[in-house]
Amino acid sequence: MKDLPQSVFVVDDDDAVRDSLRLLLKSAGMACEVFASAQEFLTSYEPAHPGCLVLDVRMPGMSGLEMQQELNLRGAMIPVIFITGHGDIPMAVEAMQHGAFDFLQKPFRDQELLDRVQRALARDTENRTRLRHTDKIRERLATLSPREREVLDLVTQGKANKMVAGDLGVSQRTVEIHRAHVMQKMEAGSLAELVRMMMAVAPPR
Amino acid sequence: MAGSAEIDGSAGDEDGTHRGRTVIVAGQSSDRTREVLHALRGFTNVIWPKSLEAALEQTGSVDAACLVIADDLREEPIDEFLREARELHRNLPIFVITDPDDVAEAVSAMRHGATAVIEIPPSYAALREEVARAMT
Repeated sequence: MKDLPQSVFVVDDDDAVRDSLRLLLKSAGMACEVFASAQEFLTSYEPAHPGCLVLDVRMPGMSGLEMQQELNLRGAMIPVIFITGHGDIPMAVEAMQHGAFDFLQKPFRDQELLDRVQRALARDTENRTRLRHTDKIRERLATLSPREREVLDLVTQGKANKMVAGDLGVSQRTVEIHRAHVMQKMEAGSLAELVRMMMAVAPPR
Repeated sequence: MAGSAEIDGSAGDEDGTHRGRTVIVAGQSSDRTREVLHALRGFTNVIWPKSLEAALEQTGSVDAACLVIADDLREEPIDEFLREARELHRNLPIFVITDPDDVAEAVSAMRHGATAVIEIPPSYAALREEVARAMT
């Protein structure tokens, strides 16, 4: 499925800020949608729509930080750039600890914001590509039989067929057959590729 | 070894569960910050490598609970150090103590791998809370 074009979503209760950001982003050739409140954005937000978010910290009703937490609860992965006129370190740390892409204090130069937006859009593309890749791996994993999954787990731990056979109480030949099925179903060309796939869906701690 | 480390193993009896784990403090810090950092000795082991390089070396040789980068190292390439430290120790809590006015620096430190940035002068309670969390 082809992705929708990327948009920059601006959420700020200040009309003048929204207008100036819309003009700035459009002048740089970026599609832009503006919202006057967190509630307004959350009502219309469609996670499949790629892009990034430029979010004011202090707004009446739901604050930018509260909106970020709501997006986190929804599992949203959209990169968030906070903007604020009254930033301090605890606020910035809280935003970054909750996964903000960046935190920018007003007044900022137009180019500063544009650079960060470009980087955030690039990050969103990377995130979506990675997600598609891991989704594909998970789909392939779901096609394995329970025994094939056991063999996969053991061979990706570095165990040789003989050891896997011993662990599972089956013959080495049986392990070889299961292993061949695993490689075919996972569309892996080598053990190294199989290990990389498993690391992509369950990174080591 | 790059730089020497003053090792203070005087873990107090205030909270025995934290004996044996070490807080690594890189930099000598301002007087007020140093006072707060020294107070951690009643809580757990603290070592004071003289440079970022030495601190990084120590993370591999002691049971490090966390790394604190003191505020006198602002001129050092902290972001680069954080990136390197994060590559070596994915889960090691790293706290940066910095000037309260420098939000941009704090954001940059967070982007490069700091767990939290603490303003000078840090309160002992806040720092101890962070360190205690790092030890669990």
